[in-house]
Amino acid sequence: MTSLLATVAIPDLLVFLLGALLCLVGAVSILTVKNPVHAALSLVMTLFGIAVLFIELQADFLAAVQIIVYAGAIVVLFLFVIMFLGVDREEDLAVEPIVGQRPLAAVLITALMASIVALGLVGHFEVGPATQTGMLHGGAGNVADLGRSVFTTYLFAFEATAGLLIIAVVGAVVLARRNNPDDHVAESQVEELA
Amino acid sequence: MNHLALPTVSYAALAPILFLLLGGVALMVLSALSRRPLAAGTVTGYSVLIGFGALISALAEYGHVNGAGPSSTVASAIAVDGFSAAIAVTVSVVVILASLLSHGYLRRMQIDAPAYHVLALTSASGAIIMAAANDLVVLFLGLEILSIALYVLAALNRRSAKSEEAALKYFILGGFSSAIFLFGIAFTYGATGSTNLQVITRTLGEGVAAKPGLLLAGLGLLLVGFFFKVAAVPFHLWTPDVYEGAPTPVTGFMAAAAKVGGFAALLRVLLTAMPQLSTNWTPVVYSVAVATLIGGAVLMVVQRDAKRMLAYSSINHAGFLLVGIVAATSAGISADLFYLFTYSVTALATFGIVTMLAGPRDDDAGIDRLSGLARRHPAIGAAMAILLLAQAGVPFTTGFIAKFSVIEAVVGHGSIPLAIIAMASAAVAVFAYLRLVATLYRTEDIATVDLGYDDSLTDGPAAFAIGLSVVVTIFFGIFPAALLDFGRTAVAHLLP
Amino acid sequence: MHTFPYLVVLLCIPLFGAGLVGLVGLRAPQAARVLALAATALELVFAVALLVAFKTHVGTFQFESTHTWMAPLGISFSLGVDGISLFLVLLTALIVPIVILGTSVGEKATGYLAWLLLLQGASVASFVSLDLMLFFFAFELTLVPSYFLIVKYGHERRAYAATKFFVMTFLGSAFLLVGILVLAFQHQNQTGVLTFSLAALQHTTLSSGLAVWLSLAFLVAFGVKAPIFPLHTWSPTTYREAPEGGSMVLSAILAKLGTYGILRFNLTLFPHASKTLAPLVLTLAAIGVLYGAITASGQHDMKRLIAYSSLAQVGFIILGTFSFSPQGLTGAVTMMVNHGIITAAFFMLIGWIAQRRGSFDTAVLKGLQGPVPVLAGVFTVTMLASIGLPGLNGFVGEFLVLIGTFTTHRWWAVVATTGVVVAAMYLLWNYQQVFHGKADAETETMHDLTTKERLTIAPLLALIVLLGVYPKFMLDRIEPSVHRELAGITAAAPATAIQTHHVTFTSPVGGAR
Repeated sequence: MTSLLATVAIPDLLVFLLGALLCLVGAVSILTVKNPVHAALSLVMTLFGIAVLFIELQADFLAAVQIIVYAGAIVVLFLFVIMFLGVDREEDLAVEPIVGQRPLAAVLITALMASIVALGLVGHFEVGPATQTGMLHGGAGNVADLGRSVFTTYLFAFEATAGLLIIAVVGAVVLARRNNPDDHVAESQVEELA
Repeated sequence: MNHLALPTVSYAALAPILFLLLGGVALMVLSALSRRPLAAGTVTGYSVLIGFGALISALAEYGHVNGAGPSSTVASAIAVDGFSAAIAVTVSVVVILASLLSHGYLRRMQIDAPAYHVLALTSASGAIIMAAANDLVVLFLGLEILSIALYVLAALNRRSAKSEEAALKYFILGGFSSAIFLFGIAFTYGATGSTNLQVITRTLGEGVAAKPGLLLAGLGLLLVGFFFKVAAVPFHLWTPDVYEGAPTPVTGFMAAAAKVGGFAALLRVLLTAMPQLSTNWTPVVYSVAVATLIGGAVLMVVQRDAKRMLAYSSINHAGFLLVGIVAATSAGISADLFYLFTYSVTALATFGIVTMLAGPRDDDAGIDRLSGLARRHPAIGAAMAILLLAQAGVPFTTGFIAKFSVIEAVVGHGSIPLAIIAMASAAVAVFAYLRLVATLYRTEDIATVDLGYDDSLTDGPAAFAIGLSVVVTIFFGIFPAALLDFGRTAVAHLLP
Repeated sequence: MHTFPYLVVLLCIPLFGAGLVGLVGLRAPQAARVLALAATALELVFAVALLVAFKTHVGTFQFESTHTWMAPLGISFSLGVDGISLFLVLLTALIVPIVILGTSVGEKATGYLAWLLLLQGASVASFVSLDLMLFFFAFELTLVPSYFLIVKYGHERRAYAATKFFVMTFLGSAFLLVGILVLAFQHQNQTGVLTFSLAALQHTTLSSGLAVWLSLAFLVAFGVKAPIFPLHTWSPTTYREAPEGGSMVLSAILAKLGTYGILRFNLTLFPHASKTLAPLVLTLAAIGVLYGAITASGQHDMKRLIAYSSLAQVGFIILGTFSFSPQGLTGAVTMMVNHGIITAAFFMLIGWIAQRRGSFDTAVLKGLQGPVPVLAGVFTVTMLASIGLPGLNGFVGEFLVLIGTFTTHRWWAVVATTGVVVAAMYLLWNYQQVFHGKADAETETMHDLTTKERLTIAPLLALIVLLGVYPKFMLDRIEPSVHRELAGITAAAPATAIQTHHVTFTSPVGGAR
């Protein structure tokens, strides 16, 4: 088994590194920046990096969806909520509920990343990079392939996703409706009783 | 592009899932369309009927599999086998009992009944999907359907701040564990080239993985995700808080459904997709089982809150179920099936009684509230005592047979130290249960305490469900042969 | 089966009785008491009928009945009684009604009565089951009522005592269950049949190493229950803190489950391993005899004193069991029954004293002989029986055990005999402290035994005398079974030869004989 790096062409490698860098820098800055708006924008960077990686894998359609849905719609919603609630509210991160958790987290994350990199270098991949397994149907018909697999191999998963989304919506509605005035009346009544 | 060949779908096999999922969706639509709020009784009745529909279709599937043997459907995404049918039976029973147990509570707490039932029904369908999933992606979706509904259910009690806290805690930690699980699926896919369980096991059988680092990382991450879901030590930290904070009937439902779904999927993944890796996962499951058995039992003893105590009790039970997985034989799987069914019934009814004692806010389940219960309400006290003794594993209850068959399986497999540890943990746990039973029968100064729960003790549907559970617990404790055979036949028809 | 199903009836009466008493007691506590007495009386009638129907001079199991039960797990409902278990069943049937008559726990006694009946049912089931899992069921089931009897009706430190008792015995059972399972799987590997039947498992071929381990697992479980030194630490606390009725049942019946288990299961299932382990067990038993006797002499609390004296007596029973001689085994069985009778009488008398004078402490109790002569008289007889005075029942078992042990393991017998002397010393000394001397004002006002109390203790007293004067009645029924048991142990000739050699080798004392 040859090393994974040896089988990748230099341009591919460069694009991959760029995409990975975008993802990681974005992810780290989500955690480090103080301003929530900046954090949301960093998320865009991560999502964009993922889109680059999709393109590198010749999944053009997914790359487009990634940008339109996530970077476009979802982050915009995030920003909307952040603006709605007020930008100035800053979380006080100086308090450390468990002593030493941050240094410990840093150590553990470093160890985790190191082990993932090590796994990538030495592990056996059944599905490797594109150059190893060949292009998906010759690199064309992304949407058709996706549609095909959604209606054949992953039919049940696709339908189950529909169920999952319904539940998520129901859940959101149930939680959002929690504060209707009737409940407050009921609650105060109970308080009187108790 | 040529004609698209849609996979064949065996609707009969999917019937339990469809009943629950579509039943939930239909209830949602009905309650949204009706002019006035649906009556609580109607909704409960509807939910019970849906549960019965699922139960009957699950039994039919079981019968069908017994004749025709195991197969898979929808492009090999769903396993049609005795195991999934047996789990579907268990989950349907859980749905029926949980609906009955929640009826009075929802009314007392003025919780929107359709919302609860929609979420409970869909959540239950997630548990069945997990058990029947023949593909890691489907399994993950089942897990999410189960979990997301549970996160919301946990937040339903508006009168207690603990409920919201529990939901948030469950949501954040659950989301985190789902991410880890998904990461595990990705790694497994990377190492084997498929998410389909049969393809995975075939690939592993061919011995392709010369450098299995990636595969093992995937396995490890999957295990962590599962351990979180089934509340195994050391991934249990959310359990006591969530069990304590969630509305009590939801806690019961959670204890039963989430455990059934989680263990069913864990059993299927480890024993049908990755039996070749058993030398790798057995030590992990073994040590987690030991930690879970001991941790659950020991921490149970020091609790002062009934719901927290039962949370640790459920952790201890998870340890026993893990013991069955260590056995990794068909005896182990069928023992776990028996355990899951009987534990679900017992745990639901136990939480049902705690629900009756919940008080107007359901934010205090201190053990004092149970003090002298049996003196004031002999029938409820006796039912609680029987259920606790069953959980403790006293002979002539299902709890004993369940623990016994798990230990029998693991001794048959040769892990004698684990069997001894399991029994020792049972000893500690039994002590905690017995202490609680003794509290029920306290005579000292109970007359002076007014706990304000007397009206909730005349909750008809809940009392019926509890009575039924007690009968099941004792009947199958004395005559377990039929149920054991049911489990064995189910395992004999497990999709390889 | 055309014979009357005595054993099933003996199981059902207390179990259903317990349920009925529990239900009736909710409404009418007084009726519950009558009902409990009626149930135990009926039980005693059937137990006596069993004794009458029992064929003397037959060593095998009688009244056997086997039914399929939990077939998928290999468990069957298999009962039978032989000379060894017969008298233990009778003892159980006798002690419980006496406990109900002779002790009281105040107004709300329904739970107490129901738990006692449940305990009786579970104990009888343990004594007559011929299926190891059925035995285990019943053996475990005894724990629940015992726990509640102690924790609900006991003295000041009852919670601590109940916990200690419960955790220790349950941990012991953990080893027992695993041991049973390993044995059953060995049997399944050899024959292909999963069964827990004693008769079948008896013929399992075991490597000597495994047999020793299994034998140890069983020994730990039974040793805790009996109790054998050093597993006895729960017993003084528990006997002290339990209500008097609880102490009676625990020491007279439950402790016998341990000694019976060793005799029935260890010796039958692992004959060779038992012989290998004999030096160890005999040593522990001898230590138990001495340690129990010496510690008893230092006790100020009468209940603790009897607890330690029980430890010494159990030491004798174990000594007889592991002597592998017919006299030793017969003595052990006889002693189980006699010790049950004597210790029950002791605890009841102590309970009555405490009821009148409010203390178990020998420093408080002084000069009782004057105010309560009848009680003192009964106590004297019981004490003399416990010391082993010829003509009273305590003598028979102790004597047979010592003879039996002497013929096979001389030096252990010699050590144990010194225990007899110490026992005589501390019991007499205790008697002197409590009953002689000058009574204080409060003691002077004590009233003697009432007629009801006299009638309650009378059967025990009668048996102490009768079984001492005419032990043949018991021995005739016990001996055939003991011979069968010993024949089974010596049956496997080649292995026995090796084992005998082994014993000689490891114990220079035995070799000197």
